[in-house]
Amino acid sequence: MIKKVKKLVKDFGLSEIRAGMKITAKQLVTDKITVQFPEERTPISPRFRGLHALRRYPNGEERCIACKLCEAVCPANAITIESEMRDDGTRRTTQYDIDLFKCIFCGFCEEACPVDAIVETHIFDYAFESREGSIIDKEGLLAIGDENEKAIGQARAEDSKYR
Amino acid sequence: MVDIEIEIDGNVVHGHSGESIISIADREGIDIPRFCYHKKLSVAANCRMCLVDVEGNPKPQPACSTPASAGMRVHTNNEKAKASQKAVMEFLLINHPLDCPICDQGGECELQDVAMEYGSDVSKFNEGKRIVADKGIGALIQTDMTRCIHCTRCVRFGAEVAGIVEMGATGRGEELKIEPFLSEGIQSELSGNMIDVCPVGALTSKPFRYEVRSWQMSSVQSVARHDLVGSNVFTQTHKGKVKRVVARDNESVNETWISDRDRFSYEGLANENRALTPKIKVKGEWQEVSWETALEAAISGIKKNSAEAFGALASKNATLEELYLLQKLTRELGSENLDTRLDVANPSSASALETTISLTGLEAVDHALIINSYLRLEQPMINHRIRKATLQGAKVSTVNAKAFDFNYRVASSVLSAPQNTVVTLSGVLKVLLESNSQALPDYLKGTKVNQAQIDIANALSAAENGVVVLGEQVSSNPCADQVAKLVEQIAKASNAKTLNASATGNTLSAEKVSFKPNGGLNAKQMFDADLNAFVLLDVYPAFDCVDSAAAIENLSRDDAFVVALNSFEDASVLSFADVILPLASFYETSGTHINIENVAQSYSASVKAAGDSKPGWKVLKVLADLLELPGFDYTDSSQVADDALSLSPSLAATEVDIIAMEVPNIATVWQYTPYASDVLTRHSQSLQQTQIGQVSEATVSEATAKILELSQGDCYKGVPVNINETVAEGCVFVHTNQARQR
Repeated sequence: MIKKVKKLVKDFGLSEIRAGMKITAKQLVTDKITVQFPEERTPISPRFRGLHALRRYPNGEERCIACKLCEAVCPANAITIESEMRDDGTRRTTQYDIDLFKCIFCGFCEEACPVDAIVETHIFDYAFESREGSIIDKEGLLAIGDENEKAIGQARAEDSKYR
Repeated sequence: MVDIEIEIDGNVVHGHSGESIISIADREGIDIPRFCYHKKLSVAANCRMCLVDVEGNPKPQPACSTPASAGMRVHTNNEKAKASQKAVMEFLLINHPLDCPICDQGGECELQDVAMEYGSDVSKFNEGKRIVADKGIGALIQTDMTRCIHCTRCVRFGAEVAGIVEMGATGRGEELKIEPFLSEGIQSELSGNMIDVCPVGALTSKPFRYEVRSWQMSSVQSVARHDLVGSNVFTQTHKGKVKRVVARDNESVNETWISDRDRFSYEGLANENRALTPKIKVKGEWQEVSWETALEAAISGIKKNSAEAFGALASKNATLEELYLLQKLTRELGSENLDTRLDVANPSSASALETTISLTGLEAVDHALIINSYLRLEQPMINHRIRKATLQGAKVSTVNAKAFDFNYRVASSVLSAPQNTVVTLSGVLKVLLESNSQALPDYLKGTKVNQAQIDIANALSAAENGVVVLGEQVSSNPCADQVAKLVEQIAKASNAKTLNASATGNTLSAEKVSFKPNGGLNAKQMFDADLNAFVLLDVYPAFDCVDSAAAIENLSRDDAFVVALNSFEDASVLSFADVILPLASFYETSGTHINIENVAQSYSASVKAAGDSKPGWKVLKVLADLLELPGFDYTDSSQVADDALSLSPSLAATEVDIIAMEVPNIATVWQYTPYASDVLTRHSQSLQQTQIGQVSEATVSEATAKILELSQGDCYKGVPVNINETVAEGCVFVHTNQARQR
C-alpha cells in the first residue's frame, strides 16, 4: 500500500524529468567539450604515433644512414630500403618507401632507429586519392619531416625526460 | 694421445691429453666466448675472452691455451668465470666504436653476439675513444681499423695460411695497430679469408660494401668451378642477385678457406656486358629476337650442313650436364668433332696423366716436384695443401720456365724452357732408373745428366711420400704428351704419386663424358679444316684459343655458321657468330663439378638467370629436341647428371714415343693471370684491380731478348717486355690479363 502511494507521488511529481532537466541545466552553464574539427583539435600526447617522417640534422644533412633496422623490426613489412655508398663514402639510402596500408603504427621503427631519423608525427588526418598513394617515398618522407621539424623536435623534447 | 675425462660445467666429457679446453668444449657443444681463437690458426690467447674457472687455480684460465688434464673440473659460467668474461668484454668495448648501424659486419658480428650475451649494458668509460687512420689495403678488403679488437687472427692467417706476412701489429698498448707493412696492399691470392676470420667489422668485403645487411640475404649451398678443387661456398643472395660468396666448411675439399677468385668472381654476374637476349644476324646486322626465332635460326643453319662439317667447342668451365648434352648432341648428329682443349698448343698430344693423390693426401707428402706450374696462382687450394706439407718439413723442387714466387721455400729449382723440358725430365728419370738399377729404355741412353737433375732425382727417391705435380703451362708445350709420360715414369720409378693440374676448371667432367674427338677433329684441326657449322659453348676465342687470330679468322668465313651460347657479350664473338643464345652463368644454373679427386659435386642454381638467358642444359636439350634427336627426354638437370655420371670413359692407353720434337728455337709460355682465366673472373672489376689481376708482362732473359731484338718496355705480342734473369734461356714467359695476340 505504501509502495503504491510512493510510486504515485513520484510519477505525478515528475521527479524523473526534473532529475534529467537538472543535468541539462547544469550542462547549459558548464564549458563545452565538443571541438570543431578541423578548425579545432584535441591535445595529443607527445608519444602519439601518426604519419611517418624522415628528419634532417640542423645543417640539412639527412639523418638516415640506411642501417635497415626499421626495415628489420617492422612487423608488417611496410618498409623497403635500398642503400649505396654515397660519393663522400657514407652509407645512404637510395630508396626508402613506407606502405601506409601495411603499416600498423606500432612505432617500432622509431624505437629501432639509432639516429632518430624515422619518426611518427602527430599527423593523423591524411587521405590518398589513388591506390599507389599509400606508398610514401624518401622525398615525401623528408618533405613531411622538413615541414614539421619544429613540432617533431618539441614532442621529442617533451618526452625525453621519461626515456 | 691418451683419452682423458674432464668435467665441464658438471658434464663429464672426453678429450685427448694436451687438447685445449676450448676444443673439447666446442666438440661437446658447450659455448665458450672467444675472439682470437680460431680452429685453423695457432693459439695466441691475447683476447682473454675465453677465461674459464678451473678448480684448483686461483685465477681464471684461458680455455684456448690451457691443455686439459685428467680429472680437471672446469666451470664456464660460475661467478668467477662470469665476472672475468664481463670484465674482459668491458675492456674490449672501451675503444670499439658504436657504429654497428653502418657497419657491414652488423648482424653477423662476433663482438655483437658476445656483447649481447656476456657484456654489461652500461660503460664506465668516459674518456676519449681511440681512432685509427685507415690505410687502404687493396681492392678486395675494406678496412676500418678503429673497430679492430687486436685479436690478430688476420695476422696469423697471413703468416700461417697465406704464407705471405703482409699484416702485422705495430706499437704497444693504446698505440697498438694492426696494419699492412707495405703501402701497395695485400697481395695474397687467399686474402679474402681475412674477411671471414675477422670477428668484427675491421676487415669487410669491399665489393659488398653497404650493399645489403647480412640478415637480408639467403644463403644457398654452391660449388665454385674456377679450379680443379671445386671449393664449397655459400652464395648469399638478395632479390635474385648474388651479393656475396663466402666459404663453406668441407674438410676434404677446401677446409675453411676459399681463394679470392672463388670469393669475388660473382661480381661479374652483374656486369653490363652480360648477354641477355637471343640475337640473330640478318644481313650483317644483329637483331634481338625471341627464343623461338633464335632456336629456329640455329637449327636451320645446323641442318643445312652435313654432320661431317659440324663441330662443337666448349669452355672448360662448363658444367658436367652441359658438356654431356653437347657431346650427346654432336655424336647423335653423327659428328666426332668436339673439344674443350682450345688453349692447348697441340691437342693431339695433350697430356694424359692420372691423378693418384687426394687433397688431404697432399698434406702428408715429404717431397713435391712441381713441373710447369705457378701453382700458387693456378690452383690456390692445392698449393695451400702443399704449403701445409712444407710446414711439416716437406721439400719442394720445381722445373719451370721461370722462378716463380711461391709461398714456401723451394729447395731446388731448375729453369727449363718448354723445348728443354723433355730433356730435363729425361735426365731426372735416367738418374732414378740408374739408382734403382733398372734397365734404361733406348731414349734415355744418350741423355746427359747434370747436377740439378741428380739433386731432384735423389730428393724424390729419398722421399717416402713424394708427389709430382704437372701444371697448366705444359699446355703451351707441343710435346705435352711426352712430358706427361715422363712424369708418369718418374713417379713410377720413385714410388711417388702424381697430380695432373694441366687443365683447370671442370676439365674432369669433360674427361668423364669424353668431350674429345674419338676419330674426329680436335680443336686445332677443326680450325684448319674449314667446317661449316659450329656450336660454341661459352667460348671466347680471343682469350681461349691458343691461336686466337687463326680461330677467329676461320670462324669468320662466310660459309661458317656459328651458334654461340654465351653468358657474356664479346666483340669477337659478335663479329663471327650468326646466332647468339644467352647462357646462364656461374651460380645461375644447376650443375655438377668433378674435382681433382674425381668427386662429383652437384649444386642447384642460386639465383634465376639474368635477363632472358637460360641454363645451358635446357638450351641444349631444346636444341636437340628441335633437331629431332632421340634420347633427350630430360626434365631435370639431375637426370642429365645421373646419365653422365654412369658413363665410364674408355681410357685407351696411347703409346707415346719420347723424342725431342721440333720446336721453335724460342718458345712462348702464355699464362693468364688467375683473374683472367675464365669469362666470369674477367668481368669482375674488383679482381681486375688487384695486383695479381693487373700483371701483364712478358719476361725474357737478356740473351734471349737480344735474339728477339727486344728491349725493356717493348711489346711482345702486345704485352710489355720485362728483361731479367728469372726466366729460362730460349723462352718468353708471358703472364697477362690481355687477350692473346699473334
